[in-house]
Amino acid sequence: MTSLATALEGIVGAAHLLTRAPSLLVYRSDGLPGHRAIPSLAVFPGSRDEVIRVVRVLADAGAPFVARGAGTGLSGGALADGIVLLGLHRLKGILTIDTEAGTATVEPGVVNATLSKAVAPLGLHYAPDPSSQSACTIGGNIAENAGGPHCLKYGVTLDHVVRATVVLPSGEVMTLDRGEGTGYDLLGAFVGSEGCFGVVLDVTVRLTPIPESVITLLADFTSVRAAADATSRIIAAGILPAALELMDQATIEAVESSVYAAGYPRDAAAVLLAEVDGAAAGLDDDAAAIERLCREAGAREVRVARDAAERARLWQGRKKAFGAMGRVAPHLVVQDAVVPRTRLADLLEEIQAIGVRHQVRVCNVFHAGDGNLHPNIPYDADDPDESARVARAMSEIMHRCIAVGGTITGEHGVGLDKLDYMTTLFSGDTLDAMCTLRDVFDPERRANPGKVVPVHSCREWLAAPAARAPVVAAGGIA
Amino acid sequence: MTSPSGADARPLHAPADATALATLVREAATEGRRLRIQGAGRWLTAGASVDATDDITTTAMAGITDYTPADLTLSCGAGTTLAELDAATRAHDQWCPLLPWGDDLGTVGATAATATEGPVAARLGRPSTLVLGLECVDGTGRVIQAGGRVVKNVAGFDLTRLMIGAWGTLGVITQLHLRLRARPVIDATVLLEAPASATEALTVFARGPYAPLALMPLDPTADWWPAGVTARPVTDDPAVRHWLVRIGGNAAFVAASRAALERLGSLSTLEGETIWSAVRRHGAPHAGPGTWRWDAISRQLRERFDPHQLLNPGLLNPGLLNPGLLGAP
Repeated sequence: MTSLATALEGIVGAAHLLTRAPSLLVYRSDGLPGHRAIPSLAVFPGSRDEVIRVVRVLADAGAPFVARGAGTGLSGGALADGIVLLGLHRLKGILTIDTEAGTATVEPGVVNATLSKAVAPLGLHYAPDPSSQSACTIGGNIAENAGGPHCLKYGVTLDHVVRATVVLPSGEVMTLDRGEGTGYDLLGAFVGSEGCFGVVLDVTVRLTPIPESVITLLADFTSVRAAADATSRIIAAGILPAALELMDQATIEAVESSVYAAGYPRDAAAVLLAEVDGAAAGLDDDAAAIERLCREAGAREVRVARDAAERARLWQGRKKAFGAMGRVAPHLVVQDAVVPRTRLADLLEEIQAIGVRHQVRVCNVFHAGDGNLHPNIPYDADDPDESARVARAMSEIMHRCIAVGGTITGEHGVGLDKLDYMTTLFSGDTLDAMCTLRDVFDPERRANPGKVVPVHSCREWLAAPAARAPVVAAGGIA
Repeated sequence: MTSPSGADARPLHAPADATALATLVREAATEGRRLRIQGAGRWLTAGASVDATDDITTTAMAGITDYTPADLTLSCGAGTTLAELDAATRAHDQWCPLLPWGDDLGTVGATAATATEGPVAARLGRPSTLVLGLECVDGTGRVIQAGGRVVKNVAGFDLTRLMIGAWGTLGVITQLHLRLRARPVIDATVLLEAPASATEALTVFARGPYAPLALMPLDPTADWWPAGVTARPVTDDPAVRHWLVRIGGNAAFVAASRAALERLGSLSTLEGETIWSAVRRHGAPHAGPGTWRWDAISRQLRERFDPHQLLNPGLLNPGLLNPGLLGAP
């Protein structure tokens, strides 16, 4: 064992340290196939104190590391390529629940859905609901600024985070908040920093009352364009649904053929899953308006879930759609891009054409209300020819999204997968400023190195490649 | 454009775009000048001291540059006034509900830079949620395009959130991309006169499914009473409380909200537009930032994004200002 491994074992114990290749294989990918890397070792601290001590040992050793929650990320962001993997799933304590303030303070390894379950008896839930919520951790949600179907109304992770205590890569512990008129919005900068700024020790999140009333509708369409058009009409009409999700024929087919079958009409070209929630009074009117707008856009049928069981079934199909695609091929690349909502219909047609051109099968299942596309392609990652076609199709799709004024990720992060698009999306000055921000939190660039911003975009870094020693900004920058 | 401004006779620069501002910033760094950043000049005059040699105004970077109502997004120059933003979006039954304390002559850029919010912020969004992206020039003269125009975006590190509420000390905001919302079908304001004993029930109501857009206590014995709220109640009865309640939603929602409030006290319907303008003006002027927290990260941010300390020097904390850095190229 290396001296680093010995030091880490001294903190977490032998049972929570992996150093051998076969056991490390478990950590060679996250939720996105196509990127694979094996850590040099994996360490799993069991308490806040152990996390701090581990990070300090890594700092003393100058060792780069990657923090990881449940590994459900979809950007290759949680891969450690020959460096230390710091797993946080053992920190699963719900520390305090403050019903008066409507907040909970939790450790980073708490599973998203577990938190909602824990506070449900109080009439509360944690609103951000990524599709992986039954497995993904709050710490990972913070790192990615995760979204989910209901973020259309309730906002993404950052809108639900009040405070976080973090350990910086240097080993220093600090508490971050939104600034509130007496400081910079350090929490706003930290949330979504993809593990490059430090490691969350605990986080205080806002809890949301479980809505008094919910109405879920399923509209089916004979064309994807009509479903996208219905989306635009609903948004333009000023209705704010809790969720507005679109699934195309390929997705419906995958779901209905799987154990997650939700009763979607198999012959529909697309379905729109819409939900309104909140106060009971007035909700029927919103639901009726959505139904009318869907019919005006050409819906064949609009069905309202009669009870909680039917609602759960409709949602199961949506949330397990990625899993259902596992029947189609051994691997699935889940893509994530955002376009202006009025461009959805055109983009979906272009995506279809790109798929045909590269002979890949694109399944669209996404947050239509936000314009947040998820064009997914089931494929065999071990087939080099198919993998290459998938890569080319995805690249074309992403460049089209950028071209219409969109962005390359709405909720999954850049990680490794989207590094190449960053230089298309952002100017050199902007990427350089992102490097500056990262360097303030992690001057040695040891936390999740090589992710998010291409290293060659950092001018200062390029100018002084020998300066791998900590860049001490104070007073030294002119 | 350069002209003297006010009694201080500091040169006033009004760059037309980010590129012109970047040139100004680089020149200032070379020449040892220090810049006081302002929009319409309605915020920093409120007592915050800035040790500057020149004034920069964003007013020449005004106007709406992109607005697709069906997308519910809008892009505008930082110098665009809140009044202009309101007029353009109102025409489509939309708004960007920043509605900060102060009047509508202030600029969108200053509202974001100071993270000034108003009475509806808790329900409809603060500057940090309503600004989707922005363009700014930092103290090194970099032109930064942070975030984007779409409503969900996690591409790269979040420079947008960093600039909002930073009082221009990390960068001068030049353009903004805003999230809009549909105006409520009905936007009603009522005066609730209720026994003090109903306060707790009112708090519960305001947190529940019928949460109003705004709930504000009014004190009839205070110096100020919003014009148009009806006659000031003649009361010094401590057992009676007065509340301004702004309810937004469809007809059934508003009716149910009113019914719930009527169980707590008596309601009188008011003309909301005038009242909330008055309430917001009464909340002004902005007194400037609070005592700033200078932890190690915040210091380094300032030093890295504005190494010459030429953006609003001394504004956040005169004590931080390192005299050795002043005027250094």
